[in-house]
Parts: sequence; structure tokens; C-alpha cells
Amino acid sequence: MSDSDIPVDHESEFKPDLAQNAAMLAVVCVIGLIGNTVATDNTLMQGLVGMLVLFVISMIGLLLTLTVPFKLPSVAWISLVGIVATLPWTPGSAWVLDKVSHVNFLTLATPCLAYAGIAIARREIDIARTSGWKIFIVAVLVMTGTYVGSAFVADLFM
Amino acid sequence: MNSAKDILLDWRLHASVLIITIISELIGVIKVPIGIGSILLLPLLYAFVLGLLINPNVVRRAGAWMGQREVRAASPLIVIAIMPFIAKFGTIIGPSMERIIDAGPALILQELGNLGTIVLAFPIAVLVLGMGREAIGASFSVAREPNIAIIADKYGLKSPEGAGVMGVYVIGTLFGTFIFAILASLLATSGLFSIEALAMACGIGSGSMMAACSGALAHAVPDMEETILALAGASNVLTYATGLYLCIFVALPVTEKLYALLGRKTPATSELGE
Repeated sequence: MSDSDIPVDHESEFKPDLAQNAAMLAVVCVIGLIGNTVATDNTLMQGLVGMLVLFVISMIGLLLTLTVPFKLPSVAWISLVGIVATLPWTPGSAWVLDKVSHVNFLTLATPCLAYAGIAIARREIDIARTSGWKIFIVAVLVMTGTYVGSAFVADLFM
Repeated sequence: MNSAKDILLDWRLHASVLIITIISELIGVIKVPIGIGSILLLPLLYAFVLGLLINPNVVRRAGAWMGQREVRAASPLIVIAIMPFIAKFGTIIGPSMERIIDAGPALILQELGNLGTIVLAFPIAVLVLGMGREAIGASFSVAREPNIAIIADKYGLKSPEGAGVMGVYVIGTLFGTFIFAILASLLATSGLFSIEALAMACGIGSGSMMAACSGALAHAVPDMEETILALAGASNVLTYATGLYLCIFVALPVTEKLYALLGRKTPATSELGE
């Protein structure tokens, strides 16, 4: 399959190595740190230590993505590392929790969405335009369907 | 093709994202009351809109500041930028492990609720909107990257099924965070479902959609923030792990069967873009 077959698959466009990932992650963490300082009462120092811990968790997750033969997306590994590091019976989990408590979760998503807005390619605008209103309706129903469907089943079994 | 060094050195891109982040966080969460509940506007939604406004593909005049180089450089950074967020979410799940294990059966079974895309969207796509085979690609899943890969593998992206999945993917990329933030805040204030169930449903398999969904829920019910985030995060991890298999072995075959039942009997040409 040629590259042009998946025009908007953001994840497959290029494969940075671990050092390049680390450098990009560091840039993103600095932006997140400033956002966190603006958005919350946490001091720059508190945020810095918290971001460093999150940086290390992300890097361990990336390392696992590259080394473990069992295929999972890097975000899945990163959440697993974050989970294991903070399980009540993991030694040092109280320390990790205390440090990351100074970083607001929702603020961390803000830079990501800014990149996402900037990354919209002309081809994506074209697809949205030519797909027309029918696809728009179906897309809204798809998203409502997965959300209400999951909530409905969860409610049944709780 | 960009090298990572080019992307790192693209100071215009990073400076823009930094300024957008600061502006968005300074505005903060805005609550808009409407009839049946209220809609929460979150900083991440403003960030996306501001990003679009300086995107030269959306606003031509933005080309003076941002070029196609920046647009291309921004793509791989979406995945990188979500990583610290996902790491933080992991640290919310860990301490709540007991509560998550208590919710275990509901948490695992609600993955089946992702088939709600077919229940709700497919009949309307085929019977009301009169769509052809693109309805299969459009409604078998929530159309994120792994689902595109499944369709690309089975039908190719130039097929009607491919057009369907790409259409929903793009609409999801453009409006998904808004739609989930609205759905979550409306349903949280309506009392139709328990907050725990709504939290689990936020695990969509997309980091930014989960962020919008759980963020809106947590702001609507601040007392339950910890529970909401733990359940949403756990459900999202589960979706990353199971979503692909549910799609390949259940969702896509079921959609195919339904199409054989409800769809046109004669092969029709694509009606997209009429």
C-alpha cells in the first residue's frame, strides 16, 4: 500500500527514533508546564517536577513500545506504566502521586488540540467538503451511538 | 518528508502552540446553560479552534505566519503531545485500582456498547439517507486510526467503504471533541444515566476525545472528579487493547450482514458528494 492511500493517518507519517521522540516530548512538556502554571495555582517548580515524572513515564512507555514484541500502541504502554507506577502496592507510588498531583490533567490536553488544529491538511478539508451533509449526520450518530451505547451497557451491569 | 530535527526547530509552530495554550487556559472553562442541561466549553476546545484559525488551509490569510511546512510538522506532534496527558491519566487510574476492579464486569462489558455506532447510525445511513456501501465503512466503528487500517486492509481506501470511514474520520477529527464534550455535559445534567456509566463511556480510544468527554463530566460533577477520571481512563486503555479485535471479529461482520439484509440489492455507485 502506498503512502497516499492513507492521507490523514497522523501516526504513520514518519517514525521518529527514541532520541527524536525524547526531544519532541521535551518541547511539548515545556509548553504543558507553562500552561499548567497559567491555569492552576501550582508553582513553576512544583509543575516542573511533576512534568519530569510524566516525561519519564512517557519515555519508559515509548521504550516498551519499541522493545516488547507484543504489539500495542505507545499510548497504551504509557498508560500502563502510569498505572503500575501509582498502584497502592507499588513501592514509591505515594511519591509519584504527590509529584504529579501538581499537574492538571485537562491542561495537558490543550497543546495537543492546538497542534491538531494546525495539522488539518487541505486534503482533510476537501474530504469534509465533498463527503457532504450525509456523512456529517452519520458521523454525529456514530459518536452519539458509541457514547450512549457504552453508557447504557455500563448502567445495566453496575 | 520531515526529519525530526526540522520539526524540533520549527519555532513558529511551537511558539504558536504555546501562545494558544496560554490564551485558552486564561479563558478557562465556560458554562453555557441550555434547556435540558448545560454545555461546558473547555480550554482544549478553544485551542483547537485557535489552531484552525492560524491554519493556512482554513484561513488563507494565516499563510503569512504559518506555511504548509508547519502544518506538516504539526501532525506527528499530536501523538507526542498527548503522551504526558496519557501518562497523567495512568497515574489517576493506579490509585483507584480497587474501585476499577469493583466496576470490572461493567467496565469490560461496556466495550460492547461501542457497537452502538451500528445500532444508531447504520439503519439511518441506509434506510433514511439512502447511502450505499459507504454506510458500512461509516458506521461500523467510531472511525479512528485503527479502524481506518481495518477498512484499508479489507476494501482499500478508494472503495465506497473507504470513503465512508474517511468521511467519518475527518468529521470526527474536526468536530469530535465538541460533540463528546456536549454529549457528556448534557447527559451528566440530564440524569438519564449514572455518572459512573457516563465516565466509562468516555473511553473512546482517542486521547483528545476522552479528554473532552471526561473533562466535561468532571466539571459538571466536581465531587466525583477522581472516580470519573479513573473510570474513563481505565475504559480508554481497555478500548486501545480490545477495540481492534471487537471491530474485526464482531462490528465489521455484523455490519456486512446488516447491509445484506437492509441495503440495496443492486450494486449502486457512490452517492457521496452529490
